[in-house]
Amino acid sequence: MGYCVSSNTMTELNKEQEQFQTPEPCLVKVQLFEGPLDLLLHLIKKNDLDIYDIPIAKITEQYIEYLEFMKVLNLQFAGEYLVIAAELSLIKSKMLLPKPVIEEEEEDPRAELVRRLIEYQVYKDAATDLVGRDVLGRDVFKREYIDNSFEQDEEVELIPVDLWSLIEAFRDFYQRRSYLWAEEISFEAESISIDDKIEQVIARLQAQPQIKFEELFDDCSSKFDLVITFLALLELARTENVDVVQDSPESAILITYSGEVESGSF
Amino acid sequence: MDLSDLKKSIESIIFISDQPVSVDKLSLAFPNVERAQLRKCLKELVEEWEEFSRGFLLSEIAGGFQFRTDPRYSEDISNYNKKVRKFRLSRPALEVTAIIAYKQPVTRVEIESIRGVDSSGVINVLLERRVIEIKGRKEVIGKPFLYGTTPEFLEVFGLKSLNDLPTLKELDEITQNLEPSITPEPESNETTL
Repeated sequence: MGYCVSSNTMTELNKEQEQFQTPEPCLVKVQLFEGPLDLLLHLIKKNDLDIYDIPIAKITEQYIEYLEFMKVLNLQFAGEYLVIAAELSLIKSKMLLPKPVIEEEEEDPRAELVRRLIEYQVYKDAATDLVGRDVLGRDVFKREYIDNSFEQDEEVELIPVDLWSLIEAFRDFYQRRSYLWAEEISFEAESISIDDKIEQVIARLQAQPQIKFEELFDDCSSKFDLVITFLALLELARTENVDVVQDSPESAILITYSGEVESGSF
Repeated sequence: MDLSDLKKSIESIIFISDQPVSVDKLSLAFPNVERAQLRKCLKELVEEWEEFSRGFLLSEIAGGFQFRTDPRYSEDISNYNKKVRKFRLSRPALEVTAIIAYKQPVTRVEIESIRGVDSSGVINVLLERRVIEIKGRKEVIGKPFLYGTTPEFLEVFGLKSLNDLPTLKELDEITQNLEPSITPEPESNETTL
């Protein structure tokens, strides 16, 4: 909607909606391409759970925790995230109900969600298979007429960091750093926009094409600064201007500048 | 033209092409040669290049034939020329590509119901990079676009045709596996002697 509702004229409905909206007007929302099912699969994998026997209460709790933290980050999560949250709560309540004594072929309340998760996993696996092939422009090359030999330095093979691991890394870092600022500086005092921050990060990466994830926050002087820097990073990663990579799942996360993608590349 | 000459001629055409060369295109260049003859030459050429064991191979890709480097030398090649590393698809983009590849023609809503998240941005990226294209419109309310993969998709992932895609794990198979956890346990062993 195109207009702004001031807080004192808000209806109850607006207030409810506000819970899932951003209290900080100067932050621009960063949209996620990964969805709620991806998050659920991540949580299942992370906790090493059996997908056919998901402990719904535990998963629901962790899922909600994630949404809360994404709210703190001002990440724009689509309504789909809330739909799944509601679905999880519904399943949870159904599972709490006492089972009828009469033996009846009743479906597990989790079955539909599990079916969706598995269907999605099938395509995620298919995507992994595709990218595991000898891919043109990465593993195999064909004739090209343009000779760009020795224009850039070689690069070590690194694995991309997935979104959830990146958020987790930031959460740990954010919580470790929080104590530094006993008093929260008010958001109004800060005027930097996410676009300005993106430019700053780009400028920094142009000077130094690869930096460690934590180094990115070296100049940050407030929580707000931390969050906006992280959002700038997510936006840059989403638009494929930077690669977020690491040597192995345990090693330090690195940010690599890859510049604008030329149109026509795959 | 004898067979040996024809083969060399075909080989040189493939050599200069930056796209896979199909039998159809070759038969335009050699109108007096039977297609079966062209196919025979191509088959022999593929085998010969494999036997030569050189830095590149003749591969059947996207309904045609193309010289491609041996994957063993990818690192050296990209060290020499960084810009040949053109492959850039994010994880969500790969997921959408996989869904479209296996379910085509497919609408955005169908893709989104699998991924559980808005996928229009990713679809636009894939359209721009010509991995997918619009195949038509579905005859339902709103007439949404139907998406499918392009010959470039086959080229990028080194596939002869869509039939060359690895078989997808069947959903039925998976739901069957799901059943044991839902159906009640069989008879207790009270009756066992």
